[in-house]
Amino acid sequence: MTEALNVTALTRESQWRRRLLQPMLRQRSAMVGLAIIAIYIFAAVFAPWLATHDPTAQDLMASLQGPSAAHWLGTDSYGQDLYSRLLYGAQLALIIGFASVALGLAVGVAIGLAAGLMGGRTEWVLMRIVDGLLAFPELILAMAFMAVLGLGTENVVYALALSFVGPFARMTRGDVLQVKSQPYIEAARMMGVPTAAIIWRHVLPNVVSPILVQAGMRISIAILLESGLSFLGIGVVPPTPDWGLMIAEGRGFITMAPWISGVPGVALAILLVALNLLGDGLRDAFDPTTQKDA
Amino acid sequence: MHSAVALTPRVADIPAIQEPLLNVSDLSLRRGKAVVLDGVSLALRPGETLGLIGESGAGKSTLALALIGLLRAPEVQLDGSMRFRDTELTQLREADYRRLRGNKIGLIFQDATAALNPCFTVGAQIAEPLKRHLRLSRWARRERAAELMHSVGIPEPRMRLDAYPHELSGGMQQRVMIAVALACNPELLLADEPTSALDVTIQAQIMELILDRVRALNSSAIFVLHDLALGAQVCDRIAVMYAGQIVEEGPSEHVLAAPLHPYTQGLKSCVVELGSRRLVPIPGQIPPLNAMPGGCRFAPRCPKAKTICSEQRPQAETRDGRQVACWFID
Amino acid sequence: MPNPIFSLLDVERSYELRGSGWFRAPSRQLKALDGVRLEVQRGDTLALVGESGSGKSTLIRLMLGLEPASDGRVLYGQRDLAQLDAEAKKRFAREVAFIYQNARGSMNPRMRIEDILAEPIRLHQLCVEREIPARLESLLLRVGLPAGLLQRFPSELSGGQIRRIAIARALASEPEVIMADESVAGLDVSVQAQVLNLLRDLCRESGITLVFITHDLGVASYLCEKIAVLYLGRIVEQGPTDAILNTPRHPYTRALLQAFPRFDMPLKASLSGEIPSPVNLPKGCRFAGRCPQVQAACRETDPALTALDAGRQVACLFPVAIA
Repeated sequence: MTEALNVTALTRESQWRRRLLQPMLRQRSAMVGLAIIAIYIFAAVFAPWLATHDPTAQDLMASLQGPSAAHWLGTDSYGQDLYSRLLYGAQLALIIGFASVALGLAVGVAIGLAAGLMGGRTEWVLMRIVDGLLAFPELILAMAFMAVLGLGTENVVYALALSFVGPFARMTRGDVLQVKSQPYIEAARMMGVPTAAIIWRHVLPNVVSPILVQAGMRISIAILLESGLSFLGIGVVPPTPDWGLMIAEGRGFITMAPWISGVPGVALAILLVALNLLGDGLRDAFDPTTQKDA
Repeated sequence: MHSAVALTPRVADIPAIQEPLLNVSDLSLRRGKAVVLDGVSLALRPGETLGLIGESGAGKSTLALALIGLLRAPEVQLDGSMRFRDTELTQLREADYRRLRGNKIGLIFQDATAALNPCFTVGAQIAEPLKRHLRLSRWARRERAAELMHSVGIPEPRMRLDAYPHELSGGMQQRVMIAVALACNPELLLADEPTSALDVTIQAQIMELILDRVRALNSSAIFVLHDLALGAQVCDRIAVMYAGQIVEEGPSEHVLAAPLHPYTQGLKSCVVELGSRRLVPIPGQIPPLNAMPGGCRFAPRCPKAKTICSEQRPQAETRDGRQVACWFID
Repeated sequence: MPNPIFSLLDVERSYELRGSGWFRAPSRQLKALDGVRLEVQRGDTLALVGESGSGKSTLIRLMLGLEPASDGRVLYGQRDLAQLDAEAKKRFAREVAFIYQNARGSMNPRMRIEDILAEPIRLHQLCVEREIPARLESLLLRVGLPAGLLQRFPSELSGGQIRRIAIARALASEPEVIMADESVAGLDVSVQAQVLNLLRDLCRESGITLVFITHDLGVASYLCEKIAVLYLGRIVEQGPTDAILNTPRHPYTRALLQAFPRFDMPLKASLSGEIPSPVNLPKGCRFAGRCPQVQAACRETDPALTALDAGRQVACLFPVAIA
């Protein structure tokens, strides 16, 4: 009674800040990740203005040059400017990463929700399909889809999205089942809350955040897979500026012009580390068990 | 059949001159800036049972953990002294502590399911301290384990030696833990809420068993309890803790029958007894460690508090055969 | 008896235990409840007392309609719980509220206290939308909490506060019956006393029917005017609280009373052994194996719950004599 008299009414905004923003800001490494990602996004969005050359313009006279005033990061074997290709490559990597995860998320979560909520035979059938998808490593699965769909940027997105359907569906179903067994779901049912409202108000908000965190982590996997596909020559078609392609291309010149593979390789590595830092931070910030300070 | 235990207070039987088994004096425990235990003094004579009583946050479990060396520097800062026989516990190295725990000091925890390792048979777990501290042979260990299980009232001990903890009920698991604790005939038994997870009829059985064994071995025991009435039944002495301090300490028949400290009085008026009667809750709650009031820590919740209470900390005084720390003892 | 609000007619609840292993051992039956007869009158405060494994939680789940009875009938008013139509189900949901043992777990961790409390009010359209804030404040006032808590999340409240919120939510739908499962277990004594006083005052003032399950006879006697003692899926004794406390007639009730810690009595382990498994029950009295005054006939005949005097029933062949 006296225990709570000092409680002040908090507005919704400050509550939101207290529950998500502040824990987020407290994750120092996540903030570093976020800053790096912001730089990448900036580079991708303003690539047309930041680039010094056309990323696909070949200049065989200036091939295999090291970093110089004309070509800040050097050129590749076709004489294409690596700096410009790097910027446009960031654009492509981020677009493919986000798009494929978004698509895979939409389909996977729909399947997972249907399976978790309906149960019974529907669940059995859906989960066997998902098991089939999960039986193969993501890269193998994506490669198989690429073989069927053919090369091209769009097809890379579809192939990656398909390979993510399985993990998302399985995770969503697991979370739904776990939430469904919570006492508050039974309590709501007992109060007479209609099923649709239970799903909307009680189930969804409790499964959404782990799924979003997982989606954040998957973006880095998507970018890595996409580069891998392109590296293997079954992804994006040359001369599109793509990091995977660039690394593959520089492979033959690794001793005389290491920057051709090195520049996109380092860019890729830094982005992946940043994405993972952010993902970890998000997970900790969303996890209610870390909010014990209240 | 259960054996009836004589519960006549035995404090009088013990010569007052006897050396204390455990002597805690002015013990303080700091975690960072927070003072978790503040000037705790206690003496426990051989054969005595002491109950530490208070609400959660009172520091009873912290005191117990500090006593057995599971809370120590650098995690926390300990000041004052804890003497067990001739050993100064605050200065003890971990290796020496390990020789004490499970040997001279037996431990019983609240949750037997969590305290027993699910991967080993109960026989192996009872035999563990026998191997480590007493260096008994394999055969002797097994014999002794069966003996111990029999002594804690587990039926068909030889068959159950090879049972895993999950195959036993909660009450039986608690009995196993008592057997582990008593394996090396400890001089001091420390039991942290040993029965609060059990049903009332099983609680009575287990408590009776612990008392019975403790007396048979002529050991001393410290019980951490939240149930005052149970404390009155099983303990010779009671120490009531509030916010890291002992506010009242003395023979249980005095402390609990006619409490002097307002906090003990308040606690007693909250206890549900058989037969209806109005409960009078203590208003408020234990203040957080980082916002401890100066002076008497109970002052903000105390019905008798005057100005002096929030200014100066009362020192423990001897009154009616016990120690009370309050400015206004009636 | 004038129209009981709940009547349980020989209710039985059994679970099939499927045999495991390659050769499928024959399946066995676990009888959680067996032939329970119980009437709850309007305005009663009834405690269901028993140790873990006595079937008290199953009984309350049956009364809440969360589980069907394997046999026998559970009547709410005049109607069978199993045969309520949609309309009646909705009314039942409003009139009967349940307070979970795990109060925190029974609240959606991502909802604010105000939304948690408003949910039953909106659901049953108990008042117009703009009156809801005032309604919520008066609810909090009734359970002794400040209105500032409305914006908080369940994880931000203390153990005592969350139980009060659970009580407030139960009151929100203006119920006729409140059922509660061990609602004070695990609380510190001073907080427990606050919550007990709150529950007691609410029932005495508003005439709400209370069904309270607990293993603690002290809590039962403090809150309720009637007590039913359960043992292994059966009611072994029931009657007015005073009568049960002063003159227990079933040896099990007496043993429970003796084991209850008291300031003025020495510790007494009144019973040996533990509650047996409800699989493959022995014939004869279920308590025979632990009963201190068991006789040969007890192992042969299963005693039925029989009336002794007004409102007092006991299931024992040789009831304890009144001292």
